[in-house]
Amino acid sequence: MKKILIANRGEIAIRIIRAAQELGYKAVAIYETPDTEALHVRVADEAIWLGDGPRKDYLDIAKVIRAVRKSGADAVHPGYGFLAENPEFAKACEEAGLIFIGPTSEVITNLGNKVIAREIMAGANIPMVPGTPNLSPGDAGVQEALAFASEYGYPIMLKATAGGGGRGIRRIENDSQMKEQIPMARAEANAAFNNDNVYLEKVVINPKHVEVQVIADSFGDVVHLGTRDCSIQRRNQKLVEIAPSMIQDRSIIDSICETAVKAAKAANYTNAGTVEFLVDKDFNYYFMEINTRIQVEHTVTEMVTGIDIVRTQIKLAFGKKLLFQQEDVKIRGHAIEMRINAEDPKNNFMPEGGKTVSIYRSPGGYGVRLDGFVYQGYTIPEVYDSLLVKLTVHGYSWNETVDRLRRCLKNFVITGLKTTIPFYLELVNDPDFQKGDFDTSYLETHAHLLDYEEQNTEINKLAKLIADIHYKEENTYAI
Amino acid sequence: MEKIVQGMKPSKTLQILRQSDGYYLTNTARDLSQSDFKNRILLHTDLLAAESRENANYFSLEITGGASVHVDILRKQVDPFLKLELLRERMPNTMFQTLCRGVNLFGYRPYPQNVIRFAVREFAKYVDVWRVFDFMNHIPNMQAVFEEVQLADKILEPSICFSTGPEHTDEFYVGKVREILDVTGEEIILCIKNHGGLGTPKRIGELVSAIKQNYPELVIHYHGHNTDGNDIGRITAAVINGAAIVDASDHAFTGYYGPPPLLSVIHTLKEYGKTAVGLNEEAVIETSEVLRNERDHYEYFESQFKGFSPTVQIHKLPGGAMGSSFEQAVKGKFLDKMPTILHDELPKVQIELGNWWSVTPGSQILWTTAVTNVLEKDRYGNPSGDLKNLLLGKYGPFPFYRPADWIYEKVFGSNWQKILEEEGGVEDIEDIDIEKEREVLTERLGHKPTDQQLVTYLQHHNDAVNFFKFEEEFGKVYVLPPSIFLRRGGYKLGESLMFKDHYGKEHVIEIGPKQKDEKGEWSIYLNVDHQERNYTFMEETTETVAAAGPKLSKKEIEDLAKAGDIRATFSCNVCEIVVKEDDEVVVGDKLAVVEAMKMQTPVVSQVEGTVVEIHAKVGDALKPGDKIMKIITDVK
Repeated sequence: MKKILIANRGEIAIRIIRAAQELGYKAVAIYETPDTEALHVRVADEAIWLGDGPRKDYLDIAKVIRAVRKSGADAVHPGYGFLAENPEFAKACEEAGLIFIGPTSEVITNLGNKVIAREIMAGANIPMVPGTPNLSPGDAGVQEALAFASEYGYPIMLKATAGGGGRGIRRIENDSQMKEQIPMARAEANAAFNNDNVYLEKVVINPKHVEVQVIADSFGDVVHLGTRDCSIQRRNQKLVEIAPSMIQDRSIIDSICETAVKAAKAANYTNAGTVEFLVDKDFNYYFMEINTRIQVEHTVTEMVTGIDIVRTQIKLAFGKKLLFQQEDVKIRGHAIEMRINAEDPKNNFMPEGGKTVSIYRSPGGYGVRLDGFVYQGYTIPEVYDSLLVKLTVHGYSWNETVDRLRRCLKNFVITGLKTTIPFYLELVNDPDFQKGDFDTSYLETHAHLLDYEEQNTEINKLAKLIADIHYKEENTYAI
Repeated sequence: MEKIVQGMKPSKTLQILRQSDGYYLTNTARDLSQSDFKNRILLHTDLLAAESRENANYFSLEITGGASVHVDILRKQVDPFLKLELLRERMPNTMFQTLCRGVNLFGYRPYPQNVIRFAVREFAKYVDVWRVFDFMNHIPNMQAVFEEVQLADKILEPSICFSTGPEHTDEFYVGKVREILDVTGEEIILCIKNHGGLGTPKRIGELVSAIKQNYPELVIHYHGHNTDGNDIGRITAAVINGAAIVDASDHAFTGYYGPPPLLSVIHTLKEYGKTAVGLNEEAVIETSEVLRNERDHYEYFESQFKGFSPTVQIHKLPGGAMGSSFEQAVKGKFLDKMPTILHDELPKVQIELGNWWSVTPGSQILWTTAVTNVLEKDRYGNPSGDLKNLLLGKYGPFPFYRPADWIYEKVFGSNWQKILEEEGGVEDIEDIDIEKEREVLTERLGHKPTDQQLVTYLQHHNDAVNFFKFEEEFGKVYVLPPSIFLRRGGYKLGESLMFKDHYGKEHVIEIGPKQKDEKGEWSIYLNVDHQERNYTFMEETTETVAAAGPKLSKKEIEDLAKAGDIRATFSCNVCEIVVKEDDEVVVGDKLAVVEAMKMQTPVVSQVEGTVVEIHAKVGDALKPGDKIMKIITDVK
């Protein structure tokens, strides 16, 4: 029997374990000490302890490879985060003769380097946000920058070539800032990434974040599974994702999807990946990057296409051909995913790690999907991310989907810690959200949604009075 | 005979009443609660009784009004309108009756006309029969309510308050009836309001007969109290002489100061050939069977003193004030003085102040004056603000005679005549800007109030806000039975509390352990719908108690006041701060108004100087010695 080691934790580890087990494979979990009680360890067929962590053992390529060897696994699925987009890890797997469930280390390397990625895309005529190659050193670079600015106008992003995840990026509003910031950015990039290369990119104002799920086998077939809109973000972290994009004009959507397939082909992409675009208010779209991994929000695509992406990933990694063609992919209805995080939205989304889930009662029923890993009595480790469970709902129409989402949020009971649920309840009642009208400025322009009352059910209120009567030995409100 | 049902036109109802050979019964559940249970009978209990009370076919169920509206929000933590709505759902055919004061409605102080009219309009959506009274029997005081009730097409039941003594003749009362009819027209029910249960059956029979002789078509509703144990005698005499409706209540809850048992009234009158029209005796019995088990949970609120009080004929305290008077005597540690207060001083004060009717707010004035006279050993030396208002005629003219000059002199000082001349007479209260009040309430609540909330607020500002906030925090608590809501001594470990919430959902709460940690923090563990929850409370330590300051004696408080350090002299609530910081005041200036036991008392400056600091704010509950404000005497 085949065995797959899941080099990850949390909900995505469980998601992959499910797919592996459905295929009849054995799933091997790895864990650090803070995850001893974690659900992914329990649902896996085998588990290997890596070390005390936190995080550093999950990130330790040598340790993970040793664990694969020890377990006798044939393949490794990296999930998202941790080692998922580290080409060294993919390479280590390749060199160890293991199947890495994802694209090749070469593809990951190329697409992980923004400059190389842009070169590849430019070669394939993929529309990109106007930008420069690495700026020349010294004053020549500054002159190149000023010339770029006079052609495209401000604001402009100054980015560190080796940066990522929002790091090494600064927004430039005028020439004098440009002159001042370039040397500073270089110095900073050098200190942080040991690489002082910087480049420029035009800023697209308040774009929509639209991405395309692509999937490619190693026989040259590339298909897309339609679009997702991930515009509702908090400081570049996605909170709500929907499929398909709410852009009404079919021709724009088709064009974006075809561009995504073209981009994947240009990169020699294999396995599942996501091509991200920015769409401006005139529906011009620009290539941003290709994510070489399964994404958190893959669930919405699965719901509207009926295609199990993780299962497909595994099969493709084991050398199978794609079982469906582009024309077999049909988008049915709408899906929305909300990331229910252990965070206090009212307190700047402060993580609530370290707290214990005292009640966990999840919704269910038609069109509802949950990808989570917490259970009643589980103490959320402080050392990992705050995602508790992804609530994904599917509906025939957009309204039906929003109604279903609202119902699920209302019936979702998680106590013992604060979550993003009450904030989402406000969000589903927002007229703009209900119209499907949102871009990446949504949270800034809808800050009032954070002004909500903590959810308090009738029985909790009554119980509070009973506790008060019990403590004081009389009802001081009645005497 | 056609049945009287809720929703019928008042004229139709009156026609049925006039043509009837028998008599009708009002179940005065509210008065029973107020007189014998300090108004604490919960909506939960009334809901239990709703079905059988509906089946009993009463003329009406008196279920709101009096002080109950205030106690609903203050102690029972139930919305007085929601209460009526829920009862109406279960009792579609029974008319609901209320009792209200003409100028005060359900509060204790005169309200502006527009507030009274707004409140009547809102309550009239649920209340079918409106019993209205004025403690001075001053008919103009009731006019606004009369008009609004008639406009709302509800049954108006103006009252003549009844008492005894040489002035209280048939002639006087018939004259009062005439005054009422002149204002209302004949489509009313007239109530004889015997709130003390005074007089003999013979006396009540004579009075009913005298009114009937003058107004044969007038429908009379006799209301009494059983304080002396003889109200059934009075009821019997009233019905035999022509009263169409009488008051009584469920025997499972009858006590000493409220209404007598319904069934005893029915049985007695049957012997005289009088039938309670349409009444279902089995349903009356069943109501008490349903209620019987609940009574134990209210024991704490029953009178500490068991037995009837036939000396009510001497002290004349209304049934609704008996329990609270004894309670005050226990709390104020003057129980030993009660015989003197009740049997010597109170009758004396009663006569001295004009022998009018001892009912709210007059009964509080009489009672407080008598108590102060006895405790301070200085008759009329410490007059309350309300006594002053009474003497100034602010509540209405004295019906029989004005109190003696020496009382005025004692209360107002040597220039009392000038004060009386300048300030005397019925106070015209200016209308307030209700929309502005709505804005204030919106601000205090953080959201727009409903009209009903606004009505509640306009009558009891701070208590209403506190209640709305309570409800936000603790939910709709009427769902809790008295065994839970009024439990004393805590629940038992492992006890299961089961109830249905306002939204119809069943819940179970199991009582878990109660533990204290070394820091004095208590943890209460409850299993709420099978989920464990922990509630923590910080124990009040000796430090926090000490921080509240040492207890001052009455003498010390008075001495401080003379030095400009104004403190509460008794436990009270602040209802008004008259001055602001930097104001200059002289001796005798009103600084603030405080309230205790429904009575407002002004806090008056004893020094000349400047207000430098105000510690208390409106709504604060103060204990004796708590700071109100500081005045620095001017250095000249």
